[in-house]
Amino acid sequence: MLIGIDVGGTTTDAVLIRNGEVCSAAKVSTEPGKLLDSLLEALDAISKDVPPEQLERVVFSTTVITNLIAEGKTDRVALVLIPGPGINPESYSFPDSFYLKGAMDYRGREIQPLDETEIRKTVDLIRESGFARAAIISKFGQRNPSHELEIGEIFREIYPGCKLELGHTVSGKLNFPRRIATAMLASATRERYQEFVEKIRKALEERKIRAPVFILKADGGTLPVEKSIEFPVETIFSGPAASMIGALALTPQGQTSVVVDIGGTTTDLALILSGKPLLASKGAKLGGFLTHVRAFAVRSIAVGGDSVVRVRKTDTGKKLITVGPDRAGPAYSMGGEETTPTDALNVLGLIKVGDPERASEAIKATASCLGKSETETASLIVEKAAQTIADAVNEMFLEWEQEPAYRIWEVLQEKKARPQNVVGIGGGAKGLIDGIAKKLDARPVIPEYAEVGNAIGAAVARPTLTLNLHIDTEQKIYSVAEEGEIVSLSAANLGNFNKIRLEEAETLASKLLRERAENFGISEYAGEAEIVNSEVFNVVNGWYTSGRLFDVDMQIPAGLIPAWKRREKA
Amino acid sequence: MKLGLGKIRDVLKTGSGTGAQERKKEQVEGRNKAEKEEILKVGNEEDKPENEGNEMELKKTGLEAKERPLSPADRTGTEKTGLIFFPAFDWAISPTHPEREERLLYTRDQIFEEGLMDLPEIAEYKPRLAEYRDVARVHFCVPDIKAQATTPHLIAAGSCLVLGDALMKAEVKNAFALVRPPGHHAMTVAHGNRGFCNINNEAILVEYLRKKYGIRRIAIVDTDVHHGDGTQEIFYNDPDVLFISFHQDGRTLYPGSGFISELGGPKALGTTINIPLPPGTPDEGILYVLDSLVLPILEDFKPELVLNSAGQDNHYTDPLANMRFSAQGYAKLNEKLAPDMAVLEGGYAIQSALPYVNTGIILAMAGLDYSCVREPDFKPGMFVQAARDRKVLEETVAAQLENWENRDRLVEAEVTKHGDFYSRRKQIFYDTDMIQELQEERIRMCPDCQGYKTIDSSAHRSTNDSRIFGISVPIYACGNCQAEAREEYRKRLNLPQYEHVYLQDKKQDEYRAYNSRTKQETIY
Repeated sequence: MLIGIDVGGTTTDAVLIRNGEVCSAAKVSTEPGKLLDSLLEALDAISKDVPPEQLERVVFSTTVITNLIAEGKTDRVALVLIPGPGINPESYSFPDSFYLKGAMDYRGREIQPLDETEIRKTVDLIRESGFARAAIISKFGQRNPSHELEIGEIFREIYPGCKLELGHTVSGKLNFPRRIATAMLASATRERYQEFVEKIRKALEERKIRAPVFILKADGGTLPVEKSIEFPVETIFSGPAASMIGALALTPQGQTSVVVDIGGTTTDLALILSGKPLLASKGAKLGGFLTHVRAFAVRSIAVGGDSVVRVRKTDTGKKLITVGPDRAGPAYSMGGEETTPTDALNVLGLIKVGDPERASEAIKATASCLGKSETETASLIVEKAAQTIADAVNEMFLEWEQEPAYRIWEVLQEKKARPQNVVGIGGGAKGLIDGIAKKLDARPVIPEYAEVGNAIGAAVARPTLTLNLHIDTEQKIYSVAEEGEIVSLSAANLGNFNKIRLEEAETLASKLLRERAENFGISEYAGEAEIVNSEVFNVVNGWYTSGRLFDVDMQIPAGLIPAWKRREKA
Repeated sequence: MKLGLGKIRDVLKTGSGTGAQERKKEQVEGRNKAEKEEILKVGNEEDKPENEGNEMELKKTGLEAKERPLSPADRTGTEKTGLIFFPAFDWAISPTHPEREERLLYTRDQIFEEGLMDLPEIAEYKPRLAEYRDVARVHFCVPDIKAQATTPHLIAAGSCLVLGDALMKAEVKNAFALVRPPGHHAMTVAHGNRGFCNINNEAILVEYLRKKYGIRRIAIVDTDVHHGDGTQEIFYNDPDVLFISFHQDGRTLYPGSGFISELGGPKALGTTINIPLPPGTPDEGILYVLDSLVLPILEDFKPELVLNSAGQDNHYTDPLANMRFSAQGYAKLNEKLAPDMAVLEGGYAIQSALPYVNTGIILAMAGLDYSCVREPDFKPGMFVQAARDRKVLEETVAAQLENWENRDRLVEAEVTKHGDFYSRRKQIFYDTDMIQELQEERIRMCPDCQGYKTIDSSAHRSTNDSRIFGISVPIYACGNCQAEAREEYRKRLNLPQYEHVYLQDKKQDEYRAYNSRTKQETIY
């Protein structure tokens, strides 16, 4: 049996899945500041009648990191930066930064050595300033981490208690400022995250649950909790990721859908293109910082079931309905103060929640402002909310089409898609989805268990993994960005370096990915790995080819575990 | 979102849906459009040319009222710098040619690692393909456009058009097309590749913007180390386009032209300005030319748009030239010149210069601090201008300032020397494709406009020779010139010595290419 739990901002949802089908579900409200209690309450609600030894897997998604960052409850981190030539580092907005001499170039060649005296002085200063943690990040450190490692050594020598985070281990991608932010946030949240994981482990032990426990990442993949301590920031936005995987699990395979998660204050939109969840082309933004964290392309708009409905007068005297962007407590029918789309849906009979009399009262008040009938007004409100969401969906597709392209084939490729399905997930979906789908000329789908789709997503998500291999035959080295180690090519058994073909580079990448999957305890999914990008460039010195550069990017994409029996549950 | 706003603005500006329609037309995938145009061939019967003539007569009455141009939006208050990075990682002239796949690879690594694309000051755009008619507005392509403008060429040119639109719609304050393949050696007639160029990106951009947005006066400042002979030739007789090029002295470097005596055609004397630089000129010399000559002339000319042909081969490590310009120098040059748009041309020190020079230019265009951008081996003060070279530059600057001051008188004196036509013979060498071309260019010395141009061109290559005839009607031509030019085209269609005859009617925005062997006419 599988358990999936999504700890959201308002509610915590849980499902129990037996033989590939939902067997029970629970919804409890999330107590602010007591995430763990809410999680356990939901867990107990679905598992109380189940013998713990029958549980095969527990997956949860959590807002704990998101909350820590949003509430500023993170630890202070000294940033030790080696920027080298380029943008003036003074223009960065990172706190607590210490700049050092030294530089690497784009091929990982040292162009300026470190200054040991300067490093020692800086480490002393960091200790004296009371920092217990430091993140060391060098520009092009992923192409050659030796500067980061050397500085790390000096820290260990003269300030051994300091916890260190090295830039090249958090991401192998190009983008120095994003690497700084990601390393900083990882260091700043790790200990508190670790405490949280410890508490979960203890609570599960008390319940005699010995099934493997996973946490959901922003890219929709699961990660064993023990492993997740190395990558705490990858667990941000696991809520939207859970909804996305849930939608994937509950809709027909291979189709293009927009997933609409309508909450109280906001609506989250995500895209599934021909059965593949769309990842943001760049990493997620977190606490005001752009990071390297892989996340789904999610667009949040300020329209939800509880958005405040107002009547606005235009300059020409025309009266218009506005919905949102703010929420002033629950809907009027639920005891709130203001008219909301929920009240309008109630009046139109599209949903039945709360007090119908109060709903009618709210719409009447708005109708008298607008000078229209009650039904007309309710329709206009629903129409307005649906239009706002549909417009945002269209914009999202357009933005995806307009993403930059760097190769001829990418420009020629017709990037055009429109949704076949509008999949409603979350509490507010009922009632609004039909209107949105109509505007998008798509099929409305409200899957069975839509209200706990996020928990289902958590329960049935499979692991994800990336691997970026870089080979430089002129320098006779290769490196896996995620591992941060520069390895001599002679260790790779590739024969004559100058005659390496792209296929051989790809074979090496596949082999390294299998090893990495094993290391993560997910080798059964290594077969799902795919090559995302693979390219080779000549290195020409003068007029002769003196070497080659290979880049092979692989991933195990987000998807569903085989135990989930997929069928159209609409 | 960018599209959405643009559309709304168009509608607001024109007060109708024409802007939106225009937009929609562009949205049509460039390549499909281009292919459709290629298929759109009219007739192959013997008598077709006469019918064509009639049809043309009819069309003439419509003339320029056909499409009202949009007007450029006000850019005050616009903050962003538009950027297209199109490295064409899958295109090369040949594997070890300087113009090869990885030319911008290390530049990509540097600008991505710097996180430049994340900066709020930068708006990154997606390239598109230019349409065949955009190419036909500038070039006579032999035998046809497809042969000269391959997909990467259309994307490089199309990228310039995307940014040109963004600029005219005031989505961005300035823009940089960091694209390849380059184009500034490509002339009006394109028999093949010269100096790594087939079609001229800047010229295609200029004519596109003039047609679409109704602007007229444009300045192109070519800072590539090689003389921008293609751009110079295309606008040589156009007094509305000011072309300024500084480059390593033509006696020491390809293409061997760009001397101070090349001042423009009879009616455009003074709007071509060349500044040959002594080999070894460092930042100091180039910035001196900019301050003492280029900027004052620009101020005087008052262009509606300043374009920069931004070659990066003046760099002290460039393998193909002998100058001593640095990344700091490039950034400073860009800051001072403040072009509305820069388009990458040459620059082949792909490891030692391009990553740093491009970072410097992007930061300068975005108005950001570039003081920390430097090459690994650069030390301030490592290059000093030789006293003798300084004197050479001072003389050049003085001579060109005098030419500029006297340009009206120069034109007046020159025009009286010619009758109804001015003609000159030219020899052009295509280094990449090894073609020898002989041209006779004739300009109608029209009292009312700059006059139409005809080119009779024979190309000699190792296996086959070809001869073509092309007629070009300027966008702001008078009605008489337009009618006369179209008649010239009609008359040439039956002459057996020409394999291809071209009509480039920029006023009407109509482009015709006639193949005399197949008797087919293609209209773009």
